[in-house]
Amino acid sequence: MKDIREDIAWAKINQDVMKSLENPRPLYWVILFFAVLAFGIGIGCEVYQYQMGMGVANLDNPHVWGLYIATFIFWIGMSHSGTLLSAILHLMHADWRKPIYRFAEAMTTFSLMTAGLFVMVHLGRLWQFYYAVPYPNERWVWPNFQSPLLWDAMAIFTYLSSSVLFLFVGMIPDLAIARDNMQSGWRRKLYTLLALGWEGTDRQWRNFRVTYLTIACFLIPLAVSVHSIVASDFGMSQQPGWHVTSFPPYFVAGALYSGCAAIITLFIILRYVFKFEEYMTLPILKKIVRLTFAIAMVWTYLNCVEFASVWYSHDAVSKDLLIQKMTGPYAPFWWAMIFCGSIVPLIFAIKRFQTNIPVLFATSLLLNLGMWLERWMIVSPTFSHGYYPWTWDHDQWPSMIQWGIVFGSFGWFTLLFMVFCKMFPSVSMYEVKEMVYHRSLHLKQNGTVEQGVH
Amino acid sequence: MIDSDSVKNLAGHPFDRRDFLKVLGWGGAAAALSGCGNTSIEDGKETVVSYVEAKDYVIPGVAVYFNSTCAQCDAGCSITGKIREGRVLKLEGNPESPINKGRLCGLGQAAVQHHYNPDRVREPLLRNGDKGEAISWEKAYALINEKLAGVKGEEIALVSGDVSGHQKVLLGNYMDSLGSKNHFVYEAVSPAVVRAANLKFYGVEMPRYRIDKAKVVLSFGADFLGTWVSPVHFAQQYAAFRKGVDGQRGVLIQAESKMTLTGANADRWLAVRPGTEGILALGIINALGVATGDVAELVKDYDKVRVSRETGVEPSNIDKIAAILKLRSPSLVLVGSAAEGYQHGLQNAAAINLLNQVLGNVGKTIEAPVSVPFPQMAPAKGKTAALKDLNDDLAAGKYKVLFNVATNPVFTAPASYKFRDNMAKAGFKVAFAHYLDETALQADLVLPLDSEMEDWGTHVPEYLADTVQINIQQPLMERLHANTRGFGDILLALVKQRRAEEYKAFDDYYGYLRSAVLQNKAALGGAGSDDDTFWNDTLSNGIVKLSGASGALSLKVDVSGLKLPTPKEIDEQYPMNLIPAVTSNLRDGRHTNQPWIQESPDPLTTIVWDSWVEMHPKMALQLGIVEGDIVKVTSKTGSVSAQVYLFPGIHPDAVSIPIGRGHDAMGRYAKGYGVNPFEIMDAVFESATGELAMHETRVNITKTGQRVIVVKDEGPAGGRQMGRKIAARMSTDQVDLSKEV
Amino acid sequence: MSVTNLLDNWAAVRHFHPIDDKPHDPYKWAMAIDLDACIGCNACAVACYAENNLPVVGREKFKHGQVMHWMRIERYWDEDGRDYPDQGFQFLPMMCQQCEAAPCETVCPVGATNHTQDGLNSQIYNRCIGSRYCSANCPFKVRYFNWYDYPTTENVWPAEMNYQLNPDVTVRGKGVMEKCTFCVQRLRAAEVTAKGEGRIVREGEVQTACQQSCPTGAISFGNLVDPESRVHKQWQAQQVDLDKDMQEKNQKEGGSDLRGYRILEELRSYPSVMYLERVRESAV
Repeated sequence: MKDIREDIAWAKINQDVMKSLENPRPLYWVILFFAVLAFGIGIGCEVYQYQMGMGVANLDNPHVWGLYIATFIFWIGMSHSGTLLSAILHLMHADWRKPIYRFAEAMTTFSLMTAGLFVMVHLGRLWQFYYAVPYPNERWVWPNFQSPLLWDAMAIFTYLSSSVLFLFVGMIPDLAIARDNMQSGWRRKLYTLLALGWEGTDRQWRNFRVTYLTIACFLIPLAVSVHSIVASDFGMSQQPGWHVTSFPPYFVAGALYSGCAAIITLFIILRYVFKFEEYMTLPILKKIVRLTFAIAMVWTYLNCVEFASVWYSHDAVSKDLLIQKMTGPYAPFWWAMIFCGSIVPLIFAIKRFQTNIPVLFATSLLLNLGMWLERWMIVSPTFSHGYYPWTWDHDQWPSMIQWGIVFGSFGWFTLLFMVFCKMFPSVSMYEVKEMVYHRSLHLKQNGTVEQGVH
Repeated sequence: MIDSDSVKNLAGHPFDRRDFLKVLGWGGAAAALSGCGNTSIEDGKETVVSYVEAKDYVIPGVAVYFNSTCAQCDAGCSITGKIREGRVLKLEGNPESPINKGRLCGLGQAAVQHHYNPDRVREPLLRNGDKGEAISWEKAYALINEKLAGVKGEEIALVSGDVSGHQKVLLGNYMDSLGSKNHFVYEAVSPAVVRAANLKFYGVEMPRYRIDKAKVVLSFGADFLGTWVSPVHFAQQYAAFRKGVDGQRGVLIQAESKMTLTGANADRWLAVRPGTEGILALGIINALGVATGDVAELVKDYDKVRVSRETGVEPSNIDKIAAILKLRSPSLVLVGSAAEGYQHGLQNAAAINLLNQVLGNVGKTIEAPVSVPFPQMAPAKGKTAALKDLNDDLAAGKYKVLFNVATNPVFTAPASYKFRDNMAKAGFKVAFAHYLDETALQADLVLPLDSEMEDWGTHVPEYLADTVQINIQQPLMERLHANTRGFGDILLALVKQRRAEEYKAFDDYYGYLRSAVLQNKAALGGAGSDDDTFWNDTLSNGIVKLSGASGALSLKVDVSGLKLPTPKEIDEQYPMNLIPAVTSNLRDGRHTNQPWIQESPDPLTTIVWDSWVEMHPKMALQLGIVEGDIVKVTSKTGSVSAQVYLFPGIHPDAVSIPIGRGHDAMGRYAKGYGVNPFEIMDAVFESATGELAMHETRVNITKTGQRVIVVKDEGPAGGRQMGRKIAARMSTDQVDLSKEV
Repeated sequence: MSVTNLLDNWAAVRHFHPIDDKPHDPYKWAMAIDLDACIGCNACAVACYAENNLPVVGREKFKHGQVMHWMRIERYWDEDGRDYPDQGFQFLPMMCQQCEAAPCETVCPVGATNHTQDGLNSQIYNRCIGSRYCSANCPFKVRYFNWYDYPTTENVWPAEMNYQLNPDVTVRGKGVMEKCTFCVQRLRAAEVTAKGEGRIVREGEVQTACQQSCPTGAISFGNLVDPESRVHKQWQAQQVDLDKDMQEKNQKEGGSDLRGYRILEELRSYPSVMYLERVRESAV
């Protein structure tokens, strides 16, 4: 099977993609409605929490971190797949990525924005968040550069700004197409503004290529570092279950894993909602599925490495914690994580499921659930079962406020993502054309190519 | 803010430097808060005034300290209040007091929350249907006068807690003036049976215990570190006892059915079957094998097999204890509430006291107390029997007027007394109250009392650590609410209604107190100094120390009447013994409305804000009960439901519910938290003294099917350290204490 | 705000870890708690509430683990399955251990918790943004977060209750971390007085609130640098060295016959509180 039909006319590509900016299927509006609803609930919970204090999240001493941090890591993790698809695969010349990298990149940006929100939501005094930024101030007070949280803040900020830039730069030629296809109105003005006067000259293309490549190269180490730094939040601390050397690669693997799973989910949704069946084809989906399977196995391996090293290390406290995770009150969640993270992806190994959309959709959601549980199982049990037995706390259960905000974050992400896809071409037109061009070279020689405005 | 009384006082005592201590009560806060005018702190109308012209002893930002006396319990610890800008902030122990030597327990420190409590009664309240209507003091006094008119002396009764010092004198005078002899001194928790046993045995009610001199202390349920007699003082003796001499550390053995704070600190804690403490004591005498004559005859049947069978203490432990008591002398045997709370409580106590005689401790670690040279000021000691008598009289409708001075019998009387109903039979009930507690709510007239930090008084503690001491209580700050009055002031006003002529010289209780003290200046050690100096010194010290005559103990070893009942058969219907536990935080429940007390975890269970049923894990396993189950505890009298806490420090035959919670009035921090074990306490009495036998109630336990999360400080690991070295322990053969600083 | 200033400050803040060439001078506040004397009565904990304006959170919040007791009394019993705790319980007053290499300090993103020159682990409420990382990294879990705005919470300090608040100590609002300060307000007052008189604080001149109230005198507190101080003598007699994560006396075969130890010492946080083991009579 071919990744894409080689005989699509370029005009049809423009037409199909531009249509996604106009009239999606009704499901789009249903999704949008629920996204707004969920986001509204999240906002309501956050306002309440801001007013009352963090206590309404039902966190306690010493269980001071909860779902906020877990979900924060989850969203950071999600962001990695965009970079993987657009930057890493770009450098590797895997051109099947071309129809799907745009939305993956959007996903990166928006999940980072969502993750950033959790940093805020989590802060006890969110109105003072700027203390963590090294801004010039009269008192000559610097933030603490020893703190992994500060590294976090910086890494995320850099990663976010780079991602936005990458997304934007990569979109310029398409914005120009959109500009040229729009009759009038505010959208035309917007595209005109954003297209930065793109005319498709040689010089522009040359500069564009160099810029795009440079940012891509810059982004890859950033992506790896950002999740390594999130891993340092835990790895650099002294707590059992956190003080693990393998955490940075483990986190990065987990991030790619959940990102890929999310791409499968969104792939399926977009394909249906915006009628992208021509571009987001099953062979491409199959490639992502295989990639996801590989990463799932890496993640599983790294999990085993962690358990083995705890076992081997004779660190009684860590061992105790690991046993507690497997057998204590968190056991259902922990085993659900293992099930969703290591067992469920085995479905991907079965060929006939690799292109079965309902199965893939369900599976990808389970994988994401598993990865979310993983983050929770990293954060919470250590608080509940740390060095100091007197302060153990096995009854900590997140309050509805905490759940509400977590839930709301999914609404927020979906909202941003859906609005983006309706506003901007979520399939890269120029790159699909390139892809079609390269693949249709032999067809051209045979003279069977569809007639169109090339 | 200066109320009419204090204006009068200020007029009578123009301010001068020497008088500053007294004026602090009024003028000090005046400087801090308003300078002049008629607002009180309560009004929130105070104006900000410049400190440029502050009184010379008020320096903004610098604390001043004044000595007074703690009134949270009757141990008589001296306190030093830290006062800033006219407000008392914190209480410390007064280092000059031989009782507490600068230390203070949590309960004592919480007194500031009594003072600042938002639920204090602020106005005299007259019953108007179900509501209290605020009236003026003039009207209140007139009303009392009116109600007393034509009432015979024997138709008037007054119930108070422990009272001593000049308040006791004045109270006595008032009762005299009314022609009434019905002053009931009632304390819900008091060592009355022990006093009776001591009186019989040593010739004094409360000898001086020298834990610090003992090498071994064997305590039968005396919680001397937590609740018993004078805990802060005993805790200090205990510290010295543990340090020991030449590295010979004191050994504490505690025998009781439910572990107390003292038991938790024992080297050996023995779970005794409830009520068999005396048998164990006789068994130890037997094992010692040094008794002669009558005593030997008495204990000869108490061989360790029998004693072990009856008490549940292993024979090897009896041997070990006898051995160490023999080896290390002097020792000290104490008898506390766990032993006295039975029908045969006095017999129990006598048997235990006998052990002291056998061991030769009398005169060594048990000394004669000093006698108070002013017997009229010596404390009137509360008994539970007093409440029984009062209740019987009330039931018989003997009283037309009942005064209640800050006791809460409606809360602490066993339900079977029906005290609330009987109280209603008294025609006119006056309550002197801090809070609208259960008893004050039944009163017709409620007179709001000053807190101990606003009031004047003198106190003589029952347990004197060293010499005789008269503790001074003085205001640490301005009266917080304009319309509360000191106990002494109220008494003075009342007694003036009867004997105006005799008391006309005294504008207020302060004047009375001052003149009473100065009259006895010579006897109080002030011979030679002028009145003002002596008075100011007295206030400044907060204590008057006198060298009282140290009497001798008149030891009477008479075992003829000593007979201990064999332990009761298990009652199928009510198989468990209920132990109403007195905890160091709550005592009899009068301080439950102080939030620090509510949030201070119980030292043993770490539970806060609630009552619990303590149960041995073994018994719980049998009954299929786990922690947090709500169980119904049923006695012959009634039932209460509370959460279960599994606690290994209790005899499996016993369950325990703490006293002090379960208020349905009193204030926001007390009302609705927990249950009150007095509600299910059977009215069984100690046969010789008539005291309420608080440990005799038998109960059964049934599950209700509900389960809650126990609100406590400990985590799910409970008392386990999971192999981590957190609270470490050594045994005496591993450690070399002589090297220590 | 320059990089020089950053590096200077950093060097100043971070050099108070126990290293030989930079000894504490003239103060290093430290504590010794004799667990054999501690009877678990809670007087110290209440004293701490009174001195440091700790809010009473009430039953519901206590249930959710949001209690604010800077000093908590832990109670342990034997784990060996015996029927009764027949050697009593073991009580342990636990508060901030004022670690010399405090795990909480390095992780705070804004530097709100720092080491002071006199060896305290300070908490700057104004600077704290409430990330709670410090608590996450504290092995002893002795940091307490203001989950609610207690000063405005109903029945925390109602009506006249707030007159009791100590004016020398900040009342903390929602969203900041707090913990035992070794009664820093008392220390500062004593240090300033002493400095005005051209001397250092004398032994016994300053007491922490818990120490002051303790009925058995189980807590001693003072300047570890001062050879005259009781704390110094105790640490020395017990052969517990502030700078070590493993005490020499414990390396000997058969262990030590001295009682002094520090909790979780092996984590190398160098706590400033030494505990003396509880003793139990072997003859009974």
